[in-house]
Amino acid sequence: MKSSDTRFPQIPWLDAQHFENRRNFPSEELSKYEGRHIAWSWDGAQILASGKSQEAVEEELKALGVDPSRVVFDYVFPGDASVIGPLEES
Amino acid sequence: MSLIFSYKLWPSPRPVTPLRGRWVRPRPVVSVTLVGPKASRVQPALLDTGADDCVFPESVAAQIGIDLTSAPVGNATGVGAGPIAVRYAQVALRLTDGREFREWQGWAGFTAARLTVSLLGFAGCLQFFGAFFHGDREEVELTVNSLYPGT
Repeated sequence: MKSSDTRFPQIPWLDAQHFENRRNFPSEELSKYEGRHIAWSWDGAQILASGKSQEAVEEELKALGVDPSRVVFDYVFPGDASVIGPLEES
Repeated sequence: MSLIFSYKLWPSPRPVTPLRGRWVRPRPVVSVTLVGPKASRVQPALLDTGADDCVFPESVAAQIGIDLTSAPVGNATGVGAGPIAVRYAQVALRLTDGREFREWQGWAGFTAARLTVSLLGFAGCLQFFGAFFHGDREEVELTVNSLYPGT
């Protein structure tokens, strides 16, 4: 389908540039966020906020005046463990 | 036309023995958009053929305006985890790789359990796609099937 075939025209789609920018983001910079939830800018070029939980990231975004609907949430897995499920340690 | 997602590569601090000493872990994690009555959120989600359901944090339901008060409830178990409660609601989901765009309505489970990433499992997502995990190219390819209810 085309990006214009949507029930929600007011909500933008992520574009190819977003994915390209994230692919090119320096891995050494990303590794600083290991074990943390983060928010990418809509273009995927920057990390706007980070926190121990997604709720904490959401709060930080609001404090910065950034609309949480216009970021891309993510989680940076710790590098030293294999992943066999999505539950976080409590 | 298919959606094609490259696996995300996570650096490892030491060589990964079962991957013949590579220094990264490739994982099929994608960005999925949930659209609710009030707002939308783009979440990281693991494409998981072993998951029965799509599962997202309960906090996201509230943020996008989905009321779970009288939602159907269920239990879910995972590897190494006891049962967790989930509450189900229908939500609009979007996936794109920047070239192809898919949007559909599906059932999702929401849980108060803390998740690192959400899950895109069978009900609500993979039931509507053929999924091919290209281990050699470290890409996953999703092609809509005859059950796909969206655009």
